[in-house]
Amino acid sequence: MFGFAATKLNAFEQGRISRRQLIETLTLAATTMAVASNAQAAGQVGVTAAGINHVSYTCPDFKKAADWYSKVFNLDQVGLKANEVTLPFGKKGEKPYGVTANDVPLTFIIARTRDLNAPAANGQARPKATNVVNHMAYTVADFDSARVQAELKALGVENIRAAGPNAIHMNDAFGYDVEICGLGNSALTDGA
Amino acid sequence: MERFIADLVKSFESGKIDRRQFCETVALAATVFAAGSEAQAAPARGLKMIGVNHISYACSDYKVARDWYGKVFNTKIYNDKGMGRANLAFGGPEPGKGGAFIITRNFGNNEKPAGAVVDHICYTVANWDDTRVNDALKAAGTNPTGRKGSVNVYDPNGFQVQIASIDGENPFI
Repeated sequence: MFGFAATKLNAFEQGRISRRQLIETLTLAATTMAVASNAQAAGQVGVTAAGINHVSYTCPDFKKAADWYSKVFNLDQVGLKANEVTLPFGKKGEKPYGVTANDVPLTFIIARTRDLNAPAANGQARPKATNVVNHMAYTVADFDSARVQAELKALGVENIRAAGPNAIHMNDAFGYDVEICGLGNSALTDGA
Repeated sequence: MERFIADLVKSFESGKIDRRQFCETVALAATVFAAGSEAQAAPARGLKMIGVNHISYACSDYKVARDWYGKVFNTKIYNDKGMGRANLAFGGPEPGKGGAFIITRNFGNNEKPAGAVVDHICYTVANWDDTRVNDALKAAGTNPTGRKGSVNVYDPNGFQVQIASIDGENPFI
């Protein structure tokens, strides 16, 4: 973006574009940068995920799980059904952090209680997964390890373990490993 | 944004800011805009959830999963040092700016079963088109099944992977 702005500024100074064109071009570039990066490239194999839509979490008591996540992460619960409830990471109408595309919903957790050996909704048998998602990591605002640990202790969270300056692990209501991170923990830094 | 840029041009023309400051400010404004306008500050008490940071995916051979997610989701590989793990960043915000990633890793020695399981992850695709998404997934070697706005595939470890549009999976619909 820096280079693009410099190029357009040069064009303006040399009289190749007007003042109005400079303003319009930079405004358009600044507001569409992220959208463009999310767009599907033509002819590309596979798809481009703009973000995580939801995490499907299955346990023996979905209400107990939902209450734990609501308590720790200040999440509302919506769409209560007989065997599941949804916990969006924000309020209706908000966009996911860092995503400007208008057709990307908030991420959410679905806490469920169901038989994973039962066939899928289309009647097909589900394969037995040989992998495991052994923990989920969530980013929280203004991460400060000491402050977050104090908050978690006050909430009665069990098995809190700091993992460097940018992450804390803990157990949820069913002993599942949950990690809390700051924005500083990213694909570039984790495991670097 | 337009008002902001116009004021910036005015400041440049009047000599209040130099060329470098102008370009840096435009670049920063674009980044801030991309990060969303809502307040992201933590509340006075408790934690404010921003989003998923990463998914820790353990399996018998991380390279198989790494390559599959790379092919199907065009993920970008970071920190693969041949030591049994790799970070896979996908579309959306850049790493460090809210972008999430998958860690594919080999099983550790101390994997402990919990009383709960993440049985699938769903990813959002923007600018959704049923035909285009299905064709792209088939071209990547998967067998998508589902409904309008939502399809499911299984990765090489039999893990369910869902791909959906804003209408296909939305917490408020």
